[in-house]
Amino acid sequence: MPVIEVENLVKTYDGVNVVDGISFTVDEGEIFGIVGPNGAGKTTTVESVEGLRVPDGGSIRVLGLHPIEDRYEITERLGAQLQESRLQDRIKVSEALELYASFYRNPADWPQLIERLGLAGKADTRYSDLSGGQKQRLSVALALVGSPEVAVLDELTTGLDPAARRSTWETIEEIRAGGVTVVLVTHFMEEAERLCDRIMVVDGGRVVAIDTPAGLVDRIGSRQVLRFRPSVAIDDGLLTALPEVASVAHHGQQLEVAGTGNVVHAVTALLAQRRVIAEDLRIEQHTLEDAYLALTGSGSGFSTSGREDR
Amino acid sequence: MAATLQLTKTESKLFVRDPIALFFGLVFPAVLLFALGYLYPGFDEPSADLDGKRYIDVYAPIALVLGLATLGLVTMPPIFGAYRQFGILRRLRTTPVHPVRLLSAQLIVHVAVAVAAAALAIGVVVTAFDVPVPESPLWFLLSFLLAAASIFAIGLLVGARASTQVSGQAIGMAIYFPMLFFAGVWIPRSVMPDGLLAVSDLTPLGSAVQALEDSWFGATPSLLNLTVMLAYALVVGLVAVRGFRWE
Repeated sequence: MPVIEVENLVKTYDGVNVVDGISFTVDEGEIFGIVGPNGAGKTTTVESVEGLRVPDGGSIRVLGLHPIEDRYEITERLGAQLQESRLQDRIKVSEALELYASFYRNPADWPQLIERLGLAGKADTRYSDLSGGQKQRLSVALALVGSPEVAVLDELTTGLDPAARRSTWETIEEIRAGGVTVVLVTHFMEEAERLCDRIMVVDGGRVVAIDTPAGLVDRIGSRQVLRFRPSVAIDDGLLTALPEVASVAHHGQQLEVAGTGNVVHAVTALLAQRRVIAEDLRIEQHTLEDAYLALTGSGSGFSTSGREDR
Repeated sequence: MAATLQLTKTESKLFVRDPIALFFGLVFPAVLLFALGYLYPGFDEPSADLDGKRYIDVYAPIALVLGLATLGLVTMPPIFGAYRQFGILRRLRTTPVHPVRLLSAQLIVHVAVAVAAAALAIGVVVTAFDVPVPESPLWFLLSFLLAAASIFAIGLLVGARASTQVSGQAIGMAIYFPMLFFAGVWIPRSVMPDGLLAVSDLTPLGSAVQALEDSWFGATPSLLNLTVMLAYALVVGLVAVRGFRWE
């Protein structure tokens, strides 16, 4: 049974449909990503799910509840981490958690929660003395302190350094392992690719695609490029004879072999058979970022090797 | 109710951790009266300017009102502005507790500090300068209550609209200083010219000072002063509640 069902959601500001007929469902226990350019309607969509905004059209069900009419019940069962939301500078970590825990009928064991989030040593630290990563993790802790069934996390890792971002990712995986359904709004394709079971790409208030990360990458083709310096010269004909290989090019001593399907395996097997060593081997494949740029029309669609493919 | 209690507990701690708010909100009226009484020559002697009253007698109610105004117009509005600006009210909206509880908690904390500050100031003038304990205690209490309600209503209105901490501060200050003038901080009401006094009577702080002074020295506060305060409390308070911006 879907945990979140959004059907034909419309939200209008100043006569413009910021969200223009978005539909999706989120299943129990999955990490569902929402990506899209700035102003695509991501935040408006999740804030409508959270009940912070009243939609102008369409229907939303969260755990079978109506976000506005069943407001109280939703707040008990959905934890939200908002974009750009701070706490009072002088509040201590433990005080914030104790306070927010008191709001819920089934609060989580917050000392255990901050232990899991790596904040246990910071319980007595004031908010203003926390690092950016610690503030974000506290924000996640507050979203989870009511033992929610669904957690909606909006731009969780924006402004974090790479190390803090990675530790936050581990946190999200742990949250899911704890049985919580997670909706993640993000700008970072690496983050979406690593964490999400399914991703919804939104652009101009509309859904462009909903698929698994691999499924989205497949949509723009499976072209791959191998670059290497062969230890011994190898005849181009042997390579082009492989059905997976589309083209071979020379750049000085470097060979560039492009192809589709299982091209990496086919080429490396051939090289092994001929006892050729591929020095400085680099393989370039489409990433989710390429797929994203192609789908949202905001780039060439093949950022790593800078070539079209369709 | 439990949430309001927990919020009040937390907000009190936060208030106490702000040394500037604590000084100006809690001890400043007492310190001011103590300093004036000791340092200003003739401050605790009967003055012909004041119809035989002493300056300390006249300044005691002024200092109480100054304390209320500092809390209501200087301390409180930037807190509301900051809570809105930093998304604290929004975050609360995602929990089962409505953000109005946070604002109630703030009001409770400020009123509690205001009462403590007044008690402290009264204690100082009673023990150090032989000012009597308020002689019409019930009228005094009512006057203080109305003064607090009218001043906090104005602070609440500023806080209801201010989108940031800084704008809360700026608007609060812009009201604070002219109000203090009408309260008689620089020219006590007893020596104000009639025209100015009439205007002062129509301000909540001017009426508050007069009603507190009257009841402190055994008289019944005038209906005008009480009505002015009540009107501000109700009208401004209602506008503040109606016009409150949650985001």
